[in-house]
Amino acid sequence: MSKQNLEICVIDDETVVCKRLQQALTKAGYTVETFTDSRKAIKRLDEKHFDIIVTDIRMDNIDGMEVLSHIRQQERNTKVILITGYATIEIAREAQVKGAYDFISKPFKPNELQQVIERAAKELVPHEGK
Amino acid sequence: MRENNKTDISLSSILQDSLYSSSSSPPPELSEEKVKQALLQRPSFTVKARLIIIFLIFFLISAGISITAMLMLSEINDRIAFVALADSFANEIQHVRRIEKNYFLYGSDLSEALPLLKTANTMLDKASQDLGHVVGTKELHDIHTQLHQYRQLIQILINKKNDSLFLSSQEFTTTAQQLRERGSAILLMSLDMSQKERQVISDMTKKARKVHIFLLVILLLLSFFIAFHIYRHIILRLQRLSHATERFANGDFLPITPTRKYKDEFSRLVIAMNHMMYELNRRQNLLVESHKLRAIGNLTAGIAHELNNPLNNIMLTSEVLKDNLKSLSDEELVDIAHDLVTQSERAQQVVKNLLDFARESETKTAYFQITAIIDETLQLAKNQIKLNNIQLEKEYEKGLPPIYGDRELLKQVFLNLIINAIDAMPDGGKLTIKVFQDKNTGFISIHVKDTGVGIPAHILGSIFNPFFTTKPTGKGTGLGLAVSRGIIVKHGGNIEVKSTVNEGATFIVHLPIVSIPAHEKDISHEE
Repeated sequence: MSKQNLEICVIDDETVVCKRLQQALTKAGYTVETFTDSRKAIKRLDEKHFDIIVTDIRMDNIDGMEVLSHIRQQERNTKVILITGYATIEIAREAQVKGAYDFISKPFKPNELQQVIERAAKELVPHEGK
Repeated sequence: MRENNKTDISLSSILQDSLYSSSSSPPPELSEEKVKQALLQRPSFTVKARLIIIFLIFFLISAGISITAMLMLSEINDRIAFVALADSFANEIQHVRRIEKNYFLYGSDLSEALPLLKTANTMLDKASQDLGHVVGTKELHDIHTQLHQYRQLIQILINKKNDSLFLSSQEFTTTAQQLRERGSAILLMSLDMSQKERQVISDMTKKARKVHIFLLVILLLLSFFIAFHIYRHIILRLQRLSHATERFANGDFLPITPTRKYKDEFSRLVIAMNHMMYELNRRQNLLVESHKLRAIGNLTAGIAHELNNPLNNIMLTSEVLKDNLKSLSDEELVDIAHDLVTQSERAQQVVKNLLDFARESETKTAYFQITAIIDETLQLAKNQIKLNNIQLEKEYEKGLPPIYGDRELLKQVFLNLIINAIDAMPDGGKLTIKVFQDKNTGFISIHVKDTGVGIPAHILGSIFNPFFTTKPTGKGTGLGLAVSRGIIVKHGGNIEVKSTVNEGATFIVHLPIVSIPAHEKDISHEE
């Protein structure tokens, strides 16, 4: 699967995160949509299939764990990468139980995220949902 | 003073100094050492000395009473002896007079009267020798003279009993007449004296009864005085000291000040208690400090979030800048620069907030709005609240009067209460903070209400005790509420808790609008 075909959704209520990941990931060749409002993101997720979702855990309204649960309920071929501001064993366990692909702690570099995305992309089932 | 004793004098004692500085009594600077000086400067009058003096007076009065009674008894005894003697004397004289009568009627022997008169004379001698001081020597002397003359007359009659010339002469008749008169006079005098003495004895017994009643009354009054003295100087002292210990237990560490003129054993106890209080206060302040750091520890997750977000933004932005340096437009470069600055400022603000809370700042008292303090505290705990999925509701009454106190200490109290509330709601819930003025008391009430697990009734009474904690080992120090209560009491307020298991708990803080502690007026009556 080529990078151009990979659709990534970034959800974080920090505007700066959305802005910079949009820039970095687009430059890396992915198709990227970003949302600072998780409710709008959920709506969009219902309309459109994304291969990879990168979401912050702690957000107003709907948090990252709920986004994860929402995706898992639909059993879509989507990898979810969680971002956390403060990693604890509890969060890691919960993420694993709920079926997150991986989680990454702030602060992180775009490269680190890209490496996780590349690993996730390899595990995606080809053509599924496309 | 603040400068010199910065290390010894704790934050709260400085706070107390400034809190009380506006009032006339007690003096503005109530350091332990000064109070000690004041306590020791008074003249000494110990309880021991007081007791010795009182019981000495008691003994002297009792001894006086006993001696008086003994003297009176002894006099009565003497008079009774005299009456007996006087009666015997009268008997003897009566006997002599019968002999005298027989002599005149039948011419019987008059010399039989002589031994009787001798006995009577011996009695009279004995009486004047032993009892003269009781009856008066003049009366005895009179009787003695009469008796002597009577005896001489009898002697004349005995000597001339065969002298018929004399017996028929005028002289005999005169002598007989004189003899009868003397005899009668002696008898009358002795009977009269005996009668008088009986009267005196009766009077004295009556007087003795009165004296005893009077003395009993004096002893009763003296006993009352002793009881009152012991009450005033011992029991009242003990009550005041126990009142003071309650005060200490409630976190009010003002030293006990002298109120009496003299120093005694209690003064030494008070000095010891003041020292204990000073040490307690010093240690409490160490606890406040250590607990403050602990509270920050409890905030770690929230603080990590708060700091990691701007750091992450800075990292992402600078990475994008680094990787795309050449391809970025001017507009994008400006945006990146702007983001870097604002996110750095954001991180700076987080650190500043933390330092404001944690730093060992000099305690400052001021007038301020309590709601502002609560909002600042909520700002610190903001992330914790979000993380735990807690809904926050604030109900602040409008136009509240300001309160007077120490911002940082009060912040610490509310941070404790808020963190406790958050910990009580591990699965989320609702935190309600209500601030309003109690119309009845004039105090400002702050309710911190959670919908958490609640506190069981059997531990409600212990939660303000130091080192009492229900949190797992390593999570709570058990000092938060104890320290909080200490701080609130220092502000002249109080803190209480209401809770129903599984429904939540409400901590209620009452703070006076002008924070002069209510117990201040009592202090002048202390010790």
